[in-house]
Amino acid sequence: MPSGPPAISISGLTKRYGKLLAVDHLNLEVQRGEIFGFLGLNGAGKTTTIRILLDLLRPTSGSAAIFGHDCQSDSLQARSSVGYLPGEMGVYSDLTGRELLLFLERLGGGAVSRKHRDSLFERFELNDRELSRKLREYSTGMKRKLGLIQAFQGDPPLLILDEPTEGLDPLMQEAFYDLLAEARDRGRTVFMSSHVLHEVERVCDRIAVLRKGEVVLLSSVEDARKLAPRRVRVEFHQDVGVPATLPEGYEMTVAKPRTWSLRVTGTLGGLPSFLAALPVADIAVEEARLEDVLVQYYRGAAA
Amino acid sequence: MTALYALVVQSLRRVRKFLLASGLLLAGFQVVLILQANSIQASNSFAKMGELMPSFAREMMGPSFVMFLTFKGIVCLGYFHPIVMGALVSVSVALATTPVLEIESGFIDLVLARPLARHWIVTRSILVAVIATAYLLGMMALGTWLGLSRFAAKNAAWPSVKLVGSLAINLGFLMLCWAAIAMAIGCACRRRGSAGAIAGLLALTAYLTDYVGRAWKPADSIAWLSPFRYYTPFQFVMGGDVPAKSLYVLGGVSMAAFAIAYLLYSRRDISR
Repeated sequence: MPSGPPAISISGLTKRYGKLLAVDHLNLEVQRGEIFGFLGLNGAGKTTTIRILLDLLRPTSGSAAIFGHDCQSDSLQARSSVGYLPGEMGVYSDLTGRELLLFLERLGGGAVSRKHRDSLFERFELNDRELSRKLREYSTGMKRKLGLIQAFQGDPPLLILDEPTEGLDPLMQEAFYDLLAEARDRGRTVFMSSHVLHEVERVCDRIAVLRKGEVVLLSSVEDARKLAPRRVRVEFHQDVGVPATLPEGYEMTVAKPRTWSLRVTGTLGGLPSFLAALPVADIAVEEARLEDVLVQYYRGAAA
Repeated sequence: MTALYALVVQSLRRVRKFLLASGLLLAGFQVVLILQANSIQASNSFAKMGELMPSFAREMMGPSFVMFLTFKGIVCLGYFHPIVMGALVSVSVALATTPVLEIESGFIDLVLARPLARHWIVTRSILVAVIATAYLLGMMALGTWLGLSRFAAKNAAWPSVKLVGSLAINLGFLMLCWAAIAMAIGCACRRRGSAGAIAGLLALTAYLTDYVGRAWKPADSIAWLSPFRYYTPFQFVMGGDVPAKSLYVLGGVSMAAFAIAYLLYSRRDISR
């Protein structure tokens, strides 16, 4: 892992809008070189946190830093390392795609390699003709592709992406995942919010789940997945009765004379001994899904 | 500086058609006024116009009334006609509220996510307002010159360069003053519509206060609060110089309002 201060360091961050507490004493560290998923329902405080990192919003209390540079007192230095994709990209519709990219390049944030940008055009299938069109003629997906290109074009050390695949078709989503993997291979850090849980499971190293402005889960994707109950389906040769008690972490969801469906939280180590005395014909175990864990945290059933 | 240049160019590029059309319209209006003045002079109607003018209007205008009803006075009307002044102030307000429009549209998120200090956004808007003001007044002056050189009757008494220059300079300061006030209001608002409406209403109130104050003593006691009080075209038509006090007041208000805009913009949350 590269040395130096964390890519993002958030300490006691609070943002209040009048009576509404948008972010509540948030503490978080994102290490260099990782892809970090920032999750939560709408209004959980994800975008507010991202906007504080970019100094667009000022925190009520607490602090945030990017590569050791405070996001408020040293915000120019902090932002010089960032490529940002907003959740809703507001653009002037009378600009062409190419003009927007050149304009943003001139505002600073690192030299843009023409070769790198051309490879992004190719990857996201934006040709010269499309880049010369006014943005008013762009579809939602095309605007999103342009947004990703402007965020990646300077090859910044940190990418902050708010709902990056919103509006992208499946092929472009794949192109984006490849791009993320390459960025990680080059040691870039990615901090992304997303509602697409299978996407998070696929690309992220670690995740934080935010609920009502508070972090309720901070974990590696692998560890979080272990928290998910697994569905086990057992079929029997002959009718069996339902046991009066189940081992800890087991929950019977379907109990028919020849079929049981169980939800097992934790390891499956005890399953063979539990079933040993029964006439088992077949066992099917579904892989644990991160989605099952996250939904619980979203709902507030876990934590 | 590259970033500031990019911001200014981008902003001017956005409003170029609007500015071009406004400039042509204002220049055209100057030409029309000159044609009008020609026609009045040709029919020897200046005296008749004076007789038709109601007495309260004569009182309001004072001795400048005589000067106004001349070829020179009619030509200069374009620099203080209420519609022209209203249009120029509206342009100033529209340009000065660009920062809040960018917040409302979300465009500024992309801009300020770059390593760019917030004060450059306000500086950019001030520069654009100054450039637009100079351009529009320049087009008016060009229209005056073209109209006079092409269409003025040979025996017509042209307004002097000093007179046109004084009108343009004082009017320019007035436009910048309203740009600064609108920018300060915009930097405290979440919506451009709100900022524009407040600034527009304030400008109308100030104009009416000044206007009524010229004829009604009680209103005159508060008319000093109106920036329009510091634009005195009739004095120039009478041959007076631009009063330094007017420029100091308008310039001072502009500087103060721009400073407030910088402060508000640097401290506010950038959110829709």
